[in-house]
Amino acid sequence: MEKIYDSQMKSHDFIKALFEKKIVSGLGTLTQLPNNKGVSFSLLSDAFDIQKCMPFYPIMPANAAIAVSKLTRETSPSQPVAIMLRPCELRALIELTKLKQARLDNLILISFDCSGVFPFKDSKYPTDTMLDSYYQSIKEATINNNIRQVCSGCDHYVPVGADIAISLIGRGVHETLGFSFGTEKGKNIQEKMGLSQASEIQPANLEKLTIERQQNKDALKQNNKISNLDALLDVFDTCISCHACSYVCPICYCKNCYFESQTFQYYPENYSQRLTKKNTLRLPIDRIFFHLGRLSHMGSSCVACGMCSDVCPVDIPVSEIFKAGGESIQGVFNYQPGQNLDAPLPLVTYQEKELHEMED
Amino acid sequence: MDDIKWLQGKGKLGIKAFFQDILNKGLIDSVLMPAKNKKGNSYAWFLMNKDGFLETSDPIPPVMTIQGANILKNMTKKGESWSKTAVVLRPCELRAVIELTKLEQINLENIILISFDCPGAYPLTHYISGDQTSFDQKFDSSLYTASFETERNACIACNQFTGQGADIQLCLLGASDDGFMISASSAKGKELLQNVDGAKADNIETQIKKRDELMGKLQKEKDEKRQTILDRFKDTIYGPENLLNVFSACINCHNCRRACPICFCSACYFESKALNSEADNQLNRASRKQGLRMPPDLLLFHVGRMNHMSISCVSCGACEDACPENIPISLMFSLVGRDTQAVFDYKPGHSLEEPIPFVVYKNEEFKESEAHYTKRHQSACNCNTK
Amino acid sequence: MNDIKIVAFLCNWCTYTAADLAGTSRLKYEPEVRIIRLMCSSRIDPVFILKALMDGADGVLIGGCAPGDCHYSKGNYYARRKVAVAKKIAESMGINTERIRLSWIPASEGPLFAEVVNEFTEKIKELGENPTKKEVYL
Repeated sequence: MEKIYDSQMKSHDFIKALFEKKIVSGLGTLTQLPNNKGVSFSLLSDAFDIQKCMPFYPIMPANAAIAVSKLTRETSPSQPVAIMLRPCELRALIELTKLKQARLDNLILISFDCSGVFPFKDSKYPTDTMLDSYYQSIKEATINNNIRQVCSGCDHYVPVGADIAISLIGRGVHETLGFSFGTEKGKNIQEKMGLSQASEIQPANLEKLTIERQQNKDALKQNNKISNLDALLDVFDTCISCHACSYVCPICYCKNCYFESQTFQYYPENYSQRLTKKNTLRLPIDRIFFHLGRLSHMGSSCVACGMCSDVCPVDIPVSEIFKAGGESIQGVFNYQPGQNLDAPLPLVTYQEKELHEMED
Repeated sequence: MDDIKWLQGKGKLGIKAFFQDILNKGLIDSVLMPAKNKKGNSYAWFLMNKDGFLETSDPIPPVMTIQGANILKNMTKKGESWSKTAVVLRPCELRAVIELTKLEQINLENIILISFDCPGAYPLTHYISGDQTSFDQKFDSSLYTASFETERNACIACNQFTGQGADIQLCLLGASDDGFMISASSAKGKELLQNVDGAKADNIETQIKKRDELMGKLQKEKDEKRQTILDRFKDTIYGPENLLNVFSACINCHNCRRACPICFCSACYFESKALNSEADNQLNRASRKQGLRMPPDLLLFHVGRMNHMSISCVSCGACEDACPENIPISLMFSLVGRDTQAVFDYKPGHSLEEPIPFVVYKNEEFKESEAHYTKRHQSACNCNTK
Repeated sequence: MNDIKIVAFLCNWCTYTAADLAGTSRLKYEPEVRIIRLMCSSRIDPVFILKALMDGADGVLIGGCAPGDCHYSKGNYYARRKVAVAKKIAESMGINTERIRLSWIPASEGPLFAEVVNEFTEKIKELGENPTKKEVYL
């Protein structure tokens, strides 16, 4: 358990210090858009108006791991850049790094214990009341009512592997920030910021919160269980094959998705044969299969961030289903996505003696 | 001269009976048409043959789930259909089909295009999360009068609401529960209609006149309404600040591109390696402007997409239905489309013979876009270019 | 009778050869199986198994060399993991995992191939036709 140090700084002062002490030459975090029209993840230089930074704002317009992948896919920055991410975004970034879609050199990863985000469909521009109640729930270590369903059932809400982890829960966002420095990089920054002798903060007791989240997780799994073909058809009945779920997913990085490739563009013969067999053919053909296929390709790395449910135009609980499906795949290999950069992806490694229940 | 027959039957029931009839007679092998989904809270496209015609099928559903042109594209992109298929399409879906045929994404061989007088549609999310039974009732009761009120932007601003251009048109405007007119304008359509038993309506002349009057009135109203709505919208988005305001909610999900029938590229330029850049490059951009919204090039995607497809935009509104942030993207593209199409006096989706403006040219045109390359040339030359 | 179809993905070097041997030895086995030859069992993408089941196959059999004996030395280890993923997804999506079977059948074991096919076919007949075959709303 890493010690938590009182930085004596609030978030804006911290960001200012990062630039002033030349620890970083760029920062990636959520920033306010003009005219109070929501937030967006942005890359900032020191000239940016720091008052517009909102690192803990409870909206995730896109999984920030995608932004970091866009930044570092070709090359790493030549100067250090700090990135402020939620735990699931950090986990997605680790997975993307394993998938060779992002690089971590010269990145300083800053995360915090997360109390969830609002679904942007219902709460695109949250009211002050909603925000106040949310910040209150951070302080009281409770689960806010308005967050994404998968957020309420997330038990990976404390970041793992960040260079700097900020402790918000039990403390609140308006207090001075409590930092843990979990890595070498982090400890270097601790020194540069003059926090090596900073006073310690007692860590909040997260036991009750974790138990509640685990209960929510079990309930989500139960409520979204698909036990037979009818249930599968019902859940995806309104699906319009827009593939938005795949596009916003941080793990689905393929520019030419297999399910949109020539393999799935059928010849007239195929349509004719299917129609002869079935007499009634719902189109497009691989509407439901797309979801099974996508789960098989990305399920082992799914971090259950909830973007897929949020973007679905017909409100299918994709992330609840994929969270459960992903976790069951990950359970087979005892694999925890995003927790350890050195743990190989399950499908590119093997053990000679394993999975005897699968074979005969 | 169109062939016109009068079919007995009440609205959608009459239309379904017509399809059952031509299927049973073997005049077509299959029909591609929407029908209720399994739970009955939405619609989906079904390809049905004689033995598989669904009771729950609905030729004129109150929502557009998937743009019909996309379905027809999936079916015929790799080659002409093996069976003679009748497709029932909304007017905007029909126009998209015509454009996609010109773009070589649809093969119309063996396909009979059928369209209808469209009252409009509900926004998709609105429909799915609301009371479908009452929505359906309200919609069905406006089939003869086009008096349907909706919040779907593309439908509110629509002024091309009849099935003109299809092989066969289902003329519900001005009809009644006794029956409706069905007209065929192409050789394919006329051939099919010949073998359909239409009741002899003595008042067919009166029917035609009634419909023409109603259509004329509606057309004028809708033309004006479209003009007003687009002009008003233009005021709200004019200038870079206002434009950015509209797109502040955009999360770069590209759903609009995937829903759009005209955007058929499986490898979109704006998702390609062309827009990848090195980390330092992005940091430089960030320091030049103090900050860089990530992922970068959000506005470029929209403006670029306008550049690539606005000339063929049929204002179907599929983009807006798919947008998770309710950005009025269909109005945006309709507005830009209006202007880019006017440059060439091009009407997307009207005619298979009218080539898409980017693939043809005249030797002399658009002199106003040209400029002299030197002052000396300008004074020496006596052409009209400024 | 019922129109049972079982899709079998067999690796070229072991199981496909065993199938050939069963044939030349004139061993009787159930005719419902449809064989697709892969060079190695590790060519299997979980997507193949799921697509077959969604498109109406009543059962999917994957055959490869025994662990340690893969012609390409490690392929079957990866194949085992991929089949595990496919089975988990089938489970999460309400598809009966008994319709998926992974068997290691070496090249010389013609009779074993016939036995596995017979056993699996009987199991599938017991389970009945895959409901996706006739499902209109798929």
